[in-house]
Amino acid sequence: MRDDLIRKVVIVGGGTSGWMAAAALAKILGAMPGLSIELVESEAIGTVGVGEATVPPIVLFNSMLGLDEMEFMRETHATYKLGIEFVDWARIGHRYCHPFGSYGLDMLGIDFLHHWLKGRELGDTSAFDEYSIATMAANANKFFPPTPEQPKSPLAKLAYAYQFDAGLYARYLRRYAEQRGVGRIEGRIVEVEQHPESGFITALRLDNGKRVEGELFIDCSGFRSLLLGQTLGVPFVDWSKWLPNDRAVAIPCKLGPDRKPITRSTARSSGWQWNIPLQHRVGNGHVYCSAYISDDEATEVLLANLEAEPLASPNQLRFLAGHRAKAWDKNVVALGLAGGFLEPLESTSIHLVQTGIARLMTLFPTRDFGEREIERYNRETVQQYVDIRDFLVLHYCATERDDSEYWNYCRNIEPPEGLAEKLAMYRSSGRVFGDQKELFTETSWEAVLIGQGIAPGGYHPVADLLPDDETLRRLASIRGTIAQTVAQMPTQEQFLESNGGAIDPAMRMFA
Amino acid sequence: MDDSDSAAAANHDIERVVIVGGGTAGWMAGAALSRFLNNGRRQIHLVESDAIGTIGVGEATIPPILAFNALLDLNENEFLRETQGTIKLAIEFVNWGRQGDRYFHPFGVYGQDLHGISFHQLWLRERGRGDPGPISDYCLSALAAADGRFARPSRESRAPLPEMKYAFHFDASLYAKYLRGRAERQGLQRHEGRIVQVHRDPESGDVTAVELESGERIAGDLFIDCSGFRALLIGETLGVGYEDWSRWLPVDRAIPVPTPNVGPPDPFTRSTAHGAGWQWRIPLQHRTGNGHVYCSEFIGDDEAEHVLRANLEAEPFADPRVIRFTTGRRKQSWSHNVVCLGLSSGFLEPLESTSIHLVQNGIQRLLALFPDRKISPLERDEYNRGMKDLYEDIRDFIILHYKATQRDDTPFWRYVRDMPIPETLERKIGLWKLHGRLFREGFELFGPVSWIAVMLGQNILPDRHDPIADTLDEGKVAMAMTEMRERYRAAAAALPKHEEFLRAAGAWAAGDVRPQAAAAR
Repeated sequence: MRDDLIRKVVIVGGGTSGWMAAAALAKILGAMPGLSIELVESEAIGTVGVGEATVPPIVLFNSMLGLDEMEFMRETHATYKLGIEFVDWARIGHRYCHPFGSYGLDMLGIDFLHHWLKGRELGDTSAFDEYSIATMAANANKFFPPTPEQPKSPLAKLAYAYQFDAGLYARYLRRYAEQRGVGRIEGRIVEVEQHPESGFITALRLDNGKRVEGELFIDCSGFRSLLLGQTLGVPFVDWSKWLPNDRAVAIPCKLGPDRKPITRSTARSSGWQWNIPLQHRVGNGHVYCSAYISDDEATEVLLANLEAEPLASPNQLRFLAGHRAKAWDKNVVALGLAGGFLEPLESTSIHLVQTGIARLMTLFPTRDFGEREIERYNRETVQQYVDIRDFLVLHYCATERDDSEYWNYCRNIEPPEGLAEKLAMYRSSGRVFGDQKELFTETSWEAVLIGQGIAPGGYHPVADLLPDDETLRRLASIRGTIAQTVAQMPTQEQFLESNGGAIDPAMRMFA
Repeated sequence: MDDSDSAAAANHDIERVVIVGGGTAGWMAGAALSRFLNNGRRQIHLVESDAIGTIGVGEATIPPILAFNALLDLNENEFLRETQGTIKLAIEFVNWGRQGDRYFHPFGVYGQDLHGISFHQLWLRERGRGDPGPISDYCLSALAAADGRFARPSRESRAPLPEMKYAFHFDASLYAKYLRGRAERQGLQRHEGRIVQVHRDPESGDVTAVELESGERIAGDLFIDCSGFRALLIGETLGVGYEDWSRWLPVDRAIPVPTPNVGPPDPFTRSTAHGAGWQWRIPLQHRTGNGHVYCSEFIGDDEAEHVLRANLEAEPFADPRVIRFTTGRRKQSWSHNVVCLGLSSGFLEPLESTSIHLVQNGIQRLLALFPDRKISPLERDEYNRGMKDLYEDIRDFIILHYKATQRDDTPFWRYVRDMPIPETLERKIGLWKLHGRLFREGFELFGPVSWIAVMLGQNILPDRHDPIADTLDEGKVAMAMTEMRERYRAAAAALPKHEEFLRAAGAWAAGDVRPQAAAAR
């Protein structure tokens, strides 16, 4: 065997990203000969615990780790998430859903959207939402996992994610990682040692005098970006001209009567508010732009819009939208907030950590640190940030709101190039093209475009190959099948209860 | 959208599509468009002249052809009978890495991944310490090809048969004829005659009609240029330029010639490298297609023909003729209201049998972006971008075959070995050489299996296997690989012989008689 394998990985920071990385590396690299993995964290430093809501690929991440889904649900007080409901985004009083999974049924090789658009021209008034099993189930507080083995059932078109307590998730994964040999080192980092010539990081010095050496460092130090930003000086690429929100205030509250398996985002006059129902509480937060609203006002807006009494005092956060120019430089790879930040409007924070880990596994280096691999890692990471950014900006461009200075500003933001092209294509012909690797597929784009009222200029000519009455008949039949299927699904509570995923009822009372 | 808008939209529908040229590309387009765009109002026309010959490019294909045939609702056995078709499981490359080397580029996959680690990484690792045998021992398509066997995988087939992907060899002129029959039954109107003039709108510059010798004018809203190398509409009329790629792919001539079969047809294409080019061998039911593709800077036409003749298995049916070409692509595949398909849109040597795929992909892309009479620049740009990417992806993969050679026996091979290559390809080879990693970018046509086949087949080995592969236990991996190898060997041995399969399936054209002489052109 060649003697060039990495022998020591050091993860810096034990928040959600740090422990996700530790768990995944322990699982995948655990058997690599001569490799040890250590994680340095300090109990004195708090974690942000970003993103309690996730997107469907999280299911793959958990199953890669081999987690038992019901144990995970209990341990992290998780609920299912079938999509995001957007309230007041297109205009005040309007609501729509961005569901997981796909709409209707593709027919004649073309996307279902075109058949629905044709139906609308023929006078069918059904909403696009009625063709999404995820939306219909979420609205009825129903849940049942997808059944890919029955391709004809609408359930085959369902996808789901989770909403969980990120602090509990980190704790759960810490146990997992420690059981698999990850060493946890307590201490605050006071000095970073670099190789005098190459600039590679060689060791960390802690406040308790310990020295931690490593060959590959994973920077999960949060907004501070201790290794990548502070030590290696990789610059931050600022995207606030497209995404001007720069603050958030978060607070948990008791559960209200509303138990839908869905995240809700409600637009406010200078930002938006999240509502994430878990099994034991609801996570809330107000994301806003400090140029248009003060912190105190923002907190007032948040507190005035809770569905039940708060369980803690408000927690303030500051941030900037954007990313580090390179996520991997020399022997440092940044994950999570140390690598960049995008507001949680589409619940992508944890996903960015997860894909960063997957990409690192795919391109895992040897001690030579080949430039081609690092370059590829960085290129793919930036592309992913760009894809998500464009999808987020869409929510702000596609609005009719003109009731505040903030919305007047957002509505007129000049979209980035890729987004501008997508919008123009859709406006001219109703066509939505995704690139293969984009996280948000055609379904997601269609949900937001239709949801926020952007009218396409036409539908695909192939839809006309179905006779008009046949189009209407099929639309009605798809709607009907979805409604019937939803009626037979259990409620989320029943499903968790009967499968062992529900938490102890006493916990629900716990503040 | 309010009512007036939708009424206006209806008025902008394309009502007449005119296809110019009736070679393989023209009739493929004719069959697809008459099937999918016939809404009762729209007319599809095709203009061709019996006086103009067709090139009949690409008798060998790649697996996506199955999807195209399915789109047209062709019965596979009928299609094989009608086109004298055979099955293609791989391409065998002879003398490419070094003189005397041979390897398969198979359709399908190599082995089974273990714990998310690609099979080829396991193989590379095993190779470092033992003897796993050639990687083609772990590929059903390659094993079946080598032994001349085939059975059609179906949804019910047991593993590992579904791993076997296949394409076809066929007579491209018969394919065009077969598709013509279907297109005409689907309502396509064929016009016979040579085009003497192209009419354009003086303001927009769009093509409005083509005029025949007889004086007949065929008007259209959208024109499909399938006029071959001539590029009558896109090139001669609209003046869209051509991007020359001959600095990377310098071969510029081909001499095709058919020979009678000397045995049952092999289910693979063979490409044999010569001193200044290479020679194809494509076995059909009734004959074998051969051709020498070469670079005129390094060899004369007479000598090239001599090399070809010296490497045939039988006396040719017909006299060889020389075809000239320049590798490259039309800068825009869609300009104004003209979309070009086939040779008018570009040319890449048939080393990886991509000519028919380029036509098929252009048709499918056109259906996905089918315009109305306003012809939105957005849709046109999207089309052009997609075609450009496809051409460039294939270009890079073909260049790889030349670049990855150790041959230095002729000036031609020394030139291609030392030439600079596109940055995209440089990056790909660089990643492979580090740790054997390969990535499919976007919608790239050739995936990792294809790249692995050529890299390993032409002796380009990575410095090291993927370090992650070291997490697996050596003993267990070695055992799993031995089992796989045995399973593939047994599965291949259980398949019927290729010709037996075709006959039993009812895909054989003419009973027991090989209609050799009759097929000569």
